[in-house]
Amino acid sequence: MMIGTVVGHVWATKKDPTLQGLRFLVVQPFTLGGETAETIVAVDPLGAGIGERVLVVFGRAARHMIGRGQDIGFQTAVSAIIDKMELEDGRMIGPTAGEDSKGAREAKARS
Amino acid sequence: MFLGRVVGEVWATRKAADLTGHRLLVVQALDERREPGAKKVTPVVAADPLGADVGEHVIVAFGKAARVAALGADGDFAFEAAIVGIVDDFDVPGAPADWRLADVRAWRGVRGGLGKGDSGKGGPGTILT
Repeated sequence: MMIGTVVGHVWATKKDPTLQGLRFLVVQPFTLGGETAETIVAVDPLGAGIGERVLVVFGRAARHMIGRGQDIGFQTAVSAIIDKMELEDGRMIGPTAGEDSKGAREAKARS
Repeated sequence: MFLGRVVGEVWATRKAADLTGHRLLVVQALDERREPGAKKVTPVVAADPLGADVGEHVIVAFGKAARVAALGADGDFAFEAAIVGIVDDFDVPGAPADWRLADVRAWRGVRGGLGKGDSGKGGPGTILT
């Protein structure tokens, strides 16, 4: 599982038939030092919005979240929308970047 | 599986029903910063059936192993990473200084502890001094 911020949506008309009707998000993984990690695409069964922090699961857990059995053509899904994350360095990470503690915003600004 | 350090905790209200009741900890792999400028810096979120504390070193498993460790059996559950061991000690010659085991109790004294009241400390896995 990893944490990420929803940065966008993706639409595809031509796709694997098992993926019809699913909502796809582009998620930017959270990094401890504020570095930019490669974005990933995840199915969103919960209805997360852009800017929200989410928990992303992979593999069987993701297909379980999608709810169409295990024989589908996808392996990444949102399993939770984060309320709060507290880190040992005292940073409090909020549901969106705008609600992070000051220390967290400074770490992001340094990167 | 990897050796990591617990660096935080996550809370979520809107989530998969089967995540309810699981403590979710943020774990940073110890190896991530072994090389300066290493790119892989995304921490892993793992279910914690053992009651690890922030600052402790843990072993994290993925997939079926994680579900079996956390729930006793594999099945359709919305997570695939779990803490399967709390490290007492390790011997890795040449490991960087930041691999050292933190004095978790000192940290708790300062911060009051993130997992206060739900970690059941004192049994196996208590940090060495």
